[in-house]
Parts: sequence; C-alpha cells; structure tokens
Amino acid sequence: MSVRFVLRAGERGHARLVSTGPNATYVAGHPDGVITRASSFNFHEYQSGIAGFGCIRVFGDEVFSPGGTGYNMHPHHNFIIMAFVLGGALTHVNTIGEVDTLRAGDYYLFSTGSGGKHAELNIGREDARIIYLWVLPGRLMAPPSYLRGRFDAAAGAGRITCLVGDEPGALPIDQALKVSRLVGAAGGRHRHRMPVGRGLYAFVLEGEAEIGGTMLARRDSIALENEQTIDVVARGADSDVLLVETRL
Amino acid sequence: MKKYLCLGCGFSYDEAMGLPEHGIAPGTRWADVPDDWVCPDCGTPKSGFEMVEIPTYGAPR
Repeated sequence: MSVRFVLRAGERGHARLVSTGPNATYVAGHPDGVITRASSFNFHEYQSGIAGFGCIRVFGDEVFSPGGTGYNMHPHHNFIIMAFVLGGALTHVNTIGEVDTLRAGDYYLFSTGSGGKHAELNIGREDARIIYLWVLPGRLMAPPSYLRGRFDAAAGAGRITCLVGDEPGALPIDQALKVSRLVGAAGGRHRHRMPVGRGLYAFVLEGEAEIGGTMLARRDSIALENEQTIDVVARGADSDVLLVETRL
Repeated sequence: MKKYLCLGCGFSYDEAMGLPEHGIAPGTRWADVPDDWVCPDCGTPKSGFEMVEIPTYGAPR
C-alpha cells in the first residue's frame, strides 16, 4: 500500500468569508453572516496545497452561520457537486427547479453538466455544517440533474454504507466514484475493498480512526493507492469517517 | 478531445469554438488566450483552469 498524502486538519486551506465587502454578492446573509471553509484541495484563493486526487477537485468542510448565510445563486458547469449535511439545515435551490432542505444525514448530488445555478443557504437558527465534494464528471455537458439521499446513522452503525456509486440504495453517478460512510464503535475493524486502479480519500468527520495503518484525528484525512483492501479501525467512541473511492 | 475546465465553477473552454461573445475567435489556441483573461462566469484566472480529456455527452466515444 502506498500513502499519497496525509493531511492533518490544521494543514488545510482555511477561509473565512463574510457577506460584506468584496464577496457581498457571492455570500448571502445578514452583515454578520460568516462562512468558514476548510479546503483539503486547492480552491479559490487557496492555491498552495494539493491540486486534487483522482477525479476529486474540491473537498470543503464548511460552516454557515444562521440567519440566511450561504452562497447566493451562482452558475456551474460540468462538475458533479455533492453536499453531505452533518448538522443544522441546508436549503438548496437550483435552476432545475428543486428547492430542498437537507438536515443531518441528508445529502444531494447535483450534476451541473451543460449548466445549472444553485444557491446554498442556512435559513435555520443554528450553524449548518456541510461537506462539499466536487468531482470531474464522466462526460462533459450532460443534462443537469439533482438527486437526494439519506444516511441513517443508527441503521448504518457498525458497517460501511455506500451513499453514492454503483451499489443498491446508493445514488448513481456518471463517474468511477464511490462515496461511503462508516459510523463505528471503538475497536471495530472494517475492510474497504476496491478494484485495481482506484484510490481512496478518507476523511475523519468525528472521533479518531486508524486507516491503512495511519492514526487520524478529527478532520484529518489520508489518500491511499495501490491497494485493493484497506482496513479502517474506529478508535474513538463513535468514529465517523467519509470514504471517497476514485479512479486514479 | 481536450478542453480547459475552470476549477472555480466548471466552465469549459473549447479551442475550436473559442468564445466569440467574449472576444476570443473560434480556433484560438489555449496558449494564445491572454494571460489576464478570466473565467466569464466566475472570474477565476486562466491559471486556475485544468486541461481535461473527458468525452462530451452524446458524442461518440
């Protein structure tokens, strides 16, 4: 097995966006509204880090303050944008015609293809905590589409659950990609298997986990390649890990 | 076929098509797009684009 990189939580690109000044049209919300964004890969002003891994280009660990904070309607093409809501409520509005409110465990897949706009807003009363994942599509300029899923942490506890990818119950995607989540009790050992030519980007949402032999704390991540079986050992009382398997 | 993808929003530049509505003639090579050109949709600089070879939806593979 080879480790492409280990990225500790504090080593990511940290941005703080406010709804006034240069970003006033981009960032929604009242004047005290704040978005914090920790980027695992180069994104916008943060360009001194890692460019991507496989087809992953953006992995953003974001928090929107309450009261309407978020991103105003803005355009996209091609990227398949996924959002995994960890806490609070996220209201997603897009030009396909979807208006959706997602809460902890909910996630969406917005394939922007030939063009789509979206707004991402926290109109709730507590922080919205969201992981944003952008991947290159299998084909450019596909008709845009929106799909939504739900991860039930209680039902899924103690096993690796596929959220996105070619598995029953998961959202389909036009890319060699699989997103899974594991909420595991301390000491539990879980095995992720993947085909030749794939890599794994694993991100610890909560707790601690030993992944491919490396100890990772909350919000640390690792990219692994040249291995078809990877062991994930929960080390915290309730370790919560997001696994993104990608073609390389 | 090669295209150049904006890593800020996903906008794609196709050399054959150019962007005549933004003053870049069809057939303009990526190398000849001015260095101070930015993504017309999101303002990402030219340096924030990535060359990709991804088939286009509906086109023969």
